[in-house]
Amino acid sequence: MLFINKIFIFFKRELKLFYTNIVDLLTNILFFFLSIFIFIFALGTGDKLLETIGVGIIWSLLLLSSTLSIRKFYEEDFKNGTLIVVHMGGISYELMAFLKIVSHFLFVQIPFLITIPVASMFFNLPMNEVYVLFLTFVIGSLILSCLGSISASMNLLNSTNFSIGSIIVLLFSIPVIIFSVGIKNSDVDFFSMINLLLGISLVFLGISPWSSAACIRLALRNK
Amino acid sequence: MLLINNLSFTRDKNKIFENLNLSLNKGNITQIKGDNGSGKTTFLQTLLNILEPNTGEIFWEGKNINKTIFNFYKETTFIMDQSSATKHLTVLDNINFWRGLSSSNLSNDKILLLLESYSLDQYKNTKVMHLSSGEVKKLELLRLIFEQKNFWVLDEPYNHLDNSSIQILNQTFEDHISKDGIVLFASHFEPEINGLEIINFT
Repeated sequence: MLFINKIFIFFKRELKLFYTNIVDLLTNILFFFLSIFIFIFALGTGDKLLETIGVGIIWSLLLLSSTLSIRKFYEEDFKNGTLIVVHMGGISYELMAFLKIVSHFLFVQIPFLITIPVASMFFNLPMNEVYVLFLTFVIGSLILSCLGSISASMNLLNSTNFSIGSIIVLLFSIPVIIFSVGIKNSDVDFFSMINLLLGISLVFLGISPWSSAACIRLALRNK
Repeated sequence: MLLINNLSFTRDKNKIFENLNLSLNKGNITQIKGDNGSGKTTFLQTLLNILEPNTGEIFWEGKNINKTIFNFYKETTFIMDQSSATKHLTVLDNINFWRGLSSSNLSNDKILLLLESYSLDQYKNTKVMHLSSGEVKKLELLRLIFEQKNFWVLDEPYNHLDNSSIQILNQTFEDHISKDGIVLFASHFEPEINGLEIINFT
């Protein structure tokens, strides 16, 4: 019971931090919409053209704008020693990374979902494609949170090169993009693609707490 | 209670400390004294298993802490030289977070009394980033009291404190060791505490 209380307290703090840093999320959303406008201005306003490339563009921009915020994943807690205090409170680094991933998914990625219906309007997407986009983004964003945790914890080890973290996320999210966008055009049945995405998310959910914890330990030793 | 056996730590081929033996019992208060860069912080971090020693073992209540690390942490409060308070949250939010983590059962009224004795009560709904560095340090030191742990480890606790706060801190230490607690701190400041043992780091 006490342990569950600790986890609850952890989430409460993350939620409060999310409220105080809500401007960050709004900036990301602004970045997302501005990029969409730039794409539309650059490509011209042909109905058919935008409809065919819409899902691909929305997905790539979602990916890019979600890499903007990952640098903050552990950095502040690492610098002021909260990671050590939480660890000494009885939560292992692995569990901490898992909780961070879940809270990033809930408090950063899920609020981002509200942009999808609006963005779909700009590309004149049919309703069933919006549903698919919604579903793939829910699964895909969990994968992005896991990747974000790995790259942010690796970034703790170097204090100069910040773009390397985004490169890792972009590199490993290629399969996510392939399957998420591929659902629309593929001849295979819809559920097999969703299952593949779910499989990828399970693999990353399994791997990332351990690798993040290892990186955090290493970073604390080299601080 | 705590036994350190033959502890050494090397960083980039520099020996920070070597073959260190130390035992701390109930009611002991020990200061680690040394110049800047003599390895005080490194020693405390090695003791708490944040850094890994090159040789040696640490025992808490007769058990190697590598095997039962969370039992050791359950009775330990570590105050770092920098503040671990989250800057964007208020004083009370930070306190509630720490209180929940250490599962302490201090009541809200008692917390308010504590804040008053450290003259922090007017800032309880202020964000930590608006406090002065002395006030942040005092907030950090309050963790000692409401975490209700037995073994206190402090790194430079006297930094940024004014004279009256130093006296309150010394009084807190003396109360704690009279209740069979253990205090270990690193500082180059010489406080006046009864029964203080000093270990010199060179």
